[in-house]
Amino acid sequence: MDKAIVVDHLLKNFEVTEKKPGLVNSFTSIFSPQKKTIRALRNISFTVESGELVGFIGPNGAGKTTTLKVLSGLLYPTSGFTSVLEFDPWDRKPEFLKQISLVMGQKNQLWWDLPAMETFELNRAIYEIPKRQYEETLDELTELLEVKKLLNIQVRRLSLGQRMRLELVAALLHSPKILFLDEPTLGLDLIAQQKMRDFIYEYNRRSGATILLTSHNMDDLMDLARRVIVIDEGRIIFDGALEELVNRFAKEKIIKVSLLREDDIKRIEEIGKVKKLAFPEVILSVPRSTTAVAAAELLQNFPVADLTIEEVPIEEVIRKVFRGEGKKKLLK
Amino acid sequence: MKNLRKYLKVWWMMSKNSFIQVLINKFGAGVFLTGKILRFVFFMTFIVFLLKGTQNLAGYSLSQTVFFFLTFNLVDIVSQFLFREVYRFRPLIVSGGFDLVLTKPISPLFRSLMGGADILDFITIPPLIVAIVILARGLNPTAISAFFYILLLLNGLLLATAFHIMVISMGIITFEIDHTIMIYRDLTNLGRFPIDIYAQPLRGILTYLIPVGIMITLPAKALMGLVSYQGVLVSLAIGVLALYVAKRFWGIALKRYTSASS
Amino acid sequence: MKKYLAIFKISFAQEFAYRLNFIMWRLRNVMQIFLIFFLWNAVFTDPTRVVFGYDRGKILTYVFGILIMKAIVLSARTIEVAGEISSGDLTNFLLKPVNYFKYWFSRDLSSKALNLGFAASEALILYLILRPPFFLQTNPWLIVAFVISLAIAVVLFFGLLFLSNLIAFWMPEQGWSAQFLIIVIFTDFLSGGVFPLDIFPLVVQKILYTLPFPYLLFFPLQIYLGKIPVTQVWGGIMIACAWTLILLAGLKFVWNRGIRKYEAVGR
Repeated sequence: MDKAIVVDHLLKNFEVTEKKPGLVNSFTSIFSPQKKTIRALRNISFTVESGELVGFIGPNGAGKTTTLKVLSGLLYPTSGFTSVLEFDPWDRKPEFLKQISLVMGQKNQLWWDLPAMETFELNRAIYEIPKRQYEETLDELTELLEVKKLLNIQVRRLSLGQRMRLELVAALLHSPKILFLDEPTLGLDLIAQQKMRDFIYEYNRRSGATILLTSHNMDDLMDLARRVIVIDEGRIIFDGALEELVNRFAKEKIIKVSLLREDDIKRIEEIGKVKKLAFPEVILSVPRSTTAVAAAELLQNFPVADLTIEEVPIEEVIRKVFRGEGKKKLLK
Repeated sequence: MKNLRKYLKVWWMMSKNSFIQVLINKFGAGVFLTGKILRFVFFMTFIVFLLKGTQNLAGYSLSQTVFFFLTFNLVDIVSQFLFREVYRFRPLIVSGGFDLVLTKPISPLFRSLMGGADILDFITIPPLIVAIVILARGLNPTAISAFFYILLLLNGLLLATAFHIMVISMGIITFEIDHTIMIYRDLTNLGRFPIDIYAQPLRGILTYLIPVGIMITLPAKALMGLVSYQGVLVSLAIGVLALYVAKRFWGIALKRYTSASS
Repeated sequence: MKKYLAIFKISFAQEFAYRLNFIMWRLRNVMQIFLIFFLWNAVFTDPTRVVFGYDRGKILTYVFGILIMKAIVLSARTIEVAGEISSGDLTNFLLKPVNYFKYWFSRDLSSKALNLGFAASEALILYLILRPPFFLQTNPWLIVAFVISLAIAVVLFFGLLFLSNLIAFWMPEQGWSAQFLIIVIFTDFLSGGVFPLDIFPLVVQKILYTLPFPYLLFFPLQIYLGKIPVTQVWGGIMIACAWTLILLAGLKFVWNRGIRKYEAVGR
């Protein structure tokens, strides 16, 4: 398969002027501003095959959104190579922009005081979409997103969920080959979130578009992304299948035991960390390397009725990644 | 050519949309228009009575002074009509809406400058042009000075364009637009009267650094036959140069765009 | 009294928090002064010339006077009232043991003090650069009358500005519109803030003098410049007083109606 996106040794620094409080400082900062460099992306490399759906995860400020913004041509990279559909995104050539789309949760392109239809018509002109194709796409998208009845209502009168779905229509009218989604479910209620996910999955399957998605919502990633890229402090610390993330990340396994009768907790605590204790059931987490030993010990010294060994749930792994605990463990 | 058609179409659609938005607030639009017309009338009355009392202003007659004032208004209103969107650029930058502008296959500069033409300003343009034509006839210009007037007027709009580009470029870097655009407007307001009335170094600043003189005073003077060929050429050169510099500045600003809203 | 002093102080501090806005605002004031200063400077290149009853010294004193007078009379924070009404923030104040009018008047005074400080230094700098001739009034009676008319102007403008804000009770989205028309357009021109009103024919001047606007800037300055006969000074002050009373009474009346409307809507 051909590569839709190639990123090689990408760096992005921001120069930030620091402002100190106080009248005197505001004046001196005009003449000798205190500059500080923020290294948002430090040497990032990856490739994406066309048609893939990739999820970006990482704690706040890790560089996920910055990556998307460089790839969609918004930000000028400090150094490194990026190629999207064999274009340099920064050139923002019309032929390139006509093949991509960027959707950001809670940022809107729809004209606030007008019905969404007006924005769609405008986009048709901007993207120079042939009339036939426009009508077909519009029909298909509004059907899929269930927004046919909302097209002629002032945008300001719609709910956030309705608005986001219309934003998606506006972003997809030109049938982009690559779709960048930044927090597409941000602020939506649970039902709206699910609708959004179903749509993204369906769209990826039907159109074969490449989708890059960042999200803070674990369900988004678990439902959609087979491949995830974990970014922290501007570095990629994991790139691979979602299941593999658990193997790589979780240095512990979970042992569930149910006991025949109550026993001394102290003695169980010596074997592993007790995560949950509700007799007759005990849940322990033990280091991956000593799982077998721990299990044997339990079977030998305790009145065990049943014992299972499990992986740490994906949710928990992702949650830790969001909290920024990923780096320490994965780099170890 | 095809590109031009596309841009015209997009401009027309965006202008139509902003017109519909204006119509939603009819009362506010009415008040705004009334205020603008009143301000014009008050100023005009002032000039008429002032010149009745003083006979001339820095050597210019009443109709000449009025002609300067009308020319100022034409440049001012036309650039406000075309570039009204600049006044909405700060929210666009702060909210991050500019991100979505950048990912569209249409010049972000075009969109940020001209994306919301102001119909309220447009309404006042035709009567103003009629007044200018009537007054200009009274000044008995030669064909060549009338041509210079139109040429330099276009050059003035070129300079206004350059200034608006610089204002939004600075907005990208500093997030600060409202004050810069107001200072720009205050400075151009000095062009209500021929800049000959200002003392040095203010006059020098208004001629070369912030060429209000070239934007407004010079076209009107050309119509009165007071500008040489060389003067016209130098003005055109300054106009083109300013636009070039502004475009370069815009390019630099885009490279420094941080998209910091999220 | 003590609490209004506290409001005065905190409002003063707040202006400093938005110092960029403030400095820009002052800069704009100075630029507007440039326009009228040089305009009159051009008219009066001949120092012996007298037009509209002004000589060079008096007209340039008028221009500098406008800079100072605007700081004293037209600087106000009361413009924010419309916003408070439409946003519903007014409710917070109705629950507090402060008089809403005195609250805003204290804030206005604070703004005036700050602006006056800046305007005075700007005037001094401009004076040193431009070196205009300056007219100094020596008649103590006229100076007293000038100070009285100035004090009345401050209260008069407070009434006018506050009243124009109250449209927000009935049209919450349009709070700015009355301000724009009454304050930005009418007040600026008809109070003599852009040009002295005596360039108009006498009939027009007489009509203008029946309106409240000239008493904000033009009339006090005319007293200072000694351009109004002493006999007419007190008559003018009486009209200014009458307008002030009318506007304050109107303010109270409209406010009470507005508050009832506000509470009925339950914002």
